[in-house]
Amino acid sequence: LYSILMCNGVLNEINAMSFSASFSANFAVNAPVLRAVSADSPAVSRTAHALDFGQDVWRADSLAANTQVGSVLATGHALLDAQLPGGGWPMGALCEILQTHSAQSEWRLLLPALVAAQQSAKPMALPGQRGLATANASAATVVLIGPPHVPFGPALAAQGLAVQRLVWVKAQTPAERLWATEQALRCEAVAAVLAWLPQAQSASLRRLHMAAQEHNKLLFVMRPAQAQRESSPAPLRLILLGAQAGGQADAPTEVQAADALHVQVLKRRGSPLTQSLVVQPQRHTHHGALDRVAA
Amino acid sequence: MAHWIALQPELADTQAGSAELTDPVQAVGWWALRYTPKVARCNQVLLLEVAASTRLWGGLPALLQHVLASNKPVALMNYSQAATSLIATARLLVASATPHQVALEVPADALPVHTLAAAQPHLDTFARLGLRTWGQLRALPRAGLSRRFGAGLLNALDQAYGAVPDIYPWLTLPEVFDVALELPSHVDSAPALLFAARRLLAQLKVWLQLRHLGVLGLELIWQMDERRHTAHQGALPLRTAQPTEDTAHLQRLLSEHLAHVSLPAPVHTLRLRTLETQAMGNQSASLVLDTHRAGDGLSQMLERLSARLGADRVLQLQPRMDHRPEQMQAWLSATQSVAGNAMNTRARSLGGRVLCSVSPALRPLPAGSSLTCAEHSAAQTPVGQKSLKNKRLPMDAPTPWAQGTAPTWLLAEPLRLAVVQQHPHYQGPLTLLAGPQRLEAGWWGGGDLALRDYFVARGSLAVLLWIYRERLAITAAAPSVGHWYLHGFFA
Repeated sequence: LYSILMCNGVLNEINAMSFSASFSANFAVNAPVLRAVSADSPAVSRTAHALDFGQDVWRADSLAANTQVGSVLATGHALLDAQLPGGGWPMGALCEILQTHSAQSEWRLLLPALVAAQQSAKPMALPGQRGLATANASAATVVLIGPPHVPFGPALAAQGLAVQRLVWVKAQTPAERLWATEQALRCEAVAAVLAWLPQAQSASLRRLHMAAQEHNKLLFVMRPAQAQRESSPAPLRLILLGAQAGGQADAPTEVQAADALHVQVLKRRGSPLTQSLVVQPQRHTHHGALDRVAA
Repeated sequence: MAHWIALQPELADTQAGSAELTDPVQAVGWWALRYTPKVARCNQVLLLEVAASTRLWGGLPALLQHVLASNKPVALMNYSQAATSLIATARLLVASATPHQVALEVPADALPVHTLAAAQPHLDTFARLGLRTWGQLRALPRAGLSRRFGAGLLNALDQAYGAVPDIYPWLTLPEVFDVALELPSHVDSAPALLFAARRLLAQLKVWLQLRHLGVLGLELIWQMDERRHTAHQGALPLRTAQPTEDTAHLQRLLSEHLAHVSLPAPVHTLRLRTLETQAMGNQSASLVLDTHRAGDGLSQMLERLSARLGADRVLQLQPRMDHRPEQMQAWLSATQSVAGNAMNTRARSLGGRVLCSVSPALRPLPAGSSLTCAEHSAAQTPVGQKSLKNKRLPMDAPTPWAQGTAPTWLLAEPLRLAVVQQHPHYQGPLTLLAGPQRLEAGWWGGGDLALRDYFVARGSLAVLLWIYRERLAITAAAPSVGHWYLHGFFA
């Protein structure tokens, strides 16, 4: 709206004030400025700055604030939380996680949030369902669509995941994967869906994003790093980079180095982040034990 | 003093989007049983004897209001009322013949003769005699009427005027739903059966709602052309995990299953029956509108996924008491697997018997058993509570099944690694970071003997791998060392 009102732009003032309507939820792009608006005179510019648009207008040079209750879920990594709009994984949106074949670390990245999502799920007391069904009716199921390997329950349970609430869908063809993902998103007992979609069109990803939005689910789509160049409707895109192999340090340091996540935020509602984050999972993972072994 | 209501569902009117019932008159009859136990069906007309229940419903006008205003299986119905069933039927026929007129309470004597079922064979004679109404018929001498037209007509007249009681076989709501539907034309392909099955399901829904039941098992049976030398009958059983009355879900399941069926001969009749039902409590709807659309239940989703992808591809985890990583978990079909609640007790019984130990000969370890126990206790600590990390927790941690030293991805089949200069290689040389963790399991039979030393290794691309070395024979003097295998990724 404002762009129509004040579109007589002067190019060098574009960066001076740039804001965009955040209600176009799917419209975030990699560029920092969505819709550059500038005014002819500094006076108008100042007026526009002085106006308090509240939460309805997102200035693209700052992080979008997802202030609605329950709209984000903390990632469990403080460093990453600080860089994500609203401070966590967005609920009801597609999160695209790109990773190279050599650096598969989706569990390390996602497990804290998945555990939190399972624990926050309140058991729904439906009068029509009884017995064991009631226990399963709480929205705590995590659905894996077409993971590359066998998920190993004991290791996941060690990090707090309720493995009996894990559903593994061995979908193979791209069409099967998309269909199963959409079905899982529609289920009210599902807390989060992790889908491995090596081949997916932007249109089908948009469809999944809409389904996640409609049912307010956590949806993580794992894709190869080659998809980095393709356009994506996801409001949040991360890439996991392989850790640089260090020198011949002693074992604990090396394990810690290997355990660290090198995350680069490709796209978010906010200015782009150029440098990658090194996130050290502050959890009890294998390296805790390995530290002791090495000591 | 009996009082009768005649009801006739208007069949031409079907709501858009909802499937037509196979037998609307019967469905309305089942539904009308809520007003009186005496419901009879005469061809397309339903007769309700309401004298006994009028007081319960607050008088006849209130009862009629209920009948016409409540949520019925068929939206539009004609009705009439009278002291006897035949007058009520006749009035209904008069009213439906002249649809746009105000329904008048036609007196019994003025009713036309063609509305009396017993008079149907003699209508031509009546026309020649100039008999048009019941009154004229009744004015004739009884003996002559009986002699000329038979005792049946006289009896019907007596019944119509209340001299002889109305006796009908009353409708009941059957215990088991079993309805057959003859198809208007032969059907060759199984997915096309769904159109007819939709009508059967619509009828089933009425039955389920009236009996307050949810269906657990259904069977769709089709009769095929007998002229072919093939099977004459086929059946498709359908089971759901939870009792449901959601026919949309049943229809989706049917369509997924029918897609896999091939018919050897054309089908002429379709039959649907319930195999198992269960009483179902009604869920109360929320007064406040939900902002997010409610989704399906978990079992519905699992059933739909299993129906399309196959039951062996929708899996849930079942923990097993074993120490071989590949045997520690069983991924079972989600539609059949037992609920995971039994798991905790089973896994708990594993406590204190953890076999994993680190071989002291290969690497000194301060507290061999504390590795596993500390890890298990670590699993207990909630995320983010670092203060507990270094605390010593009791030995009997309740989830010994969980294994912190294991990787999150397991390879379905261990991948044999190449060995270059006595070092295992996987996309380059591997650096052993931790281990060995010795595993000796399976010696009691019922599976493979596993003698392995597990290591955590770092590959050339800084990925943490879980590899093991097979130990072929155990002799203290010369332990012969076997091949290296990759068994998992720390993702």
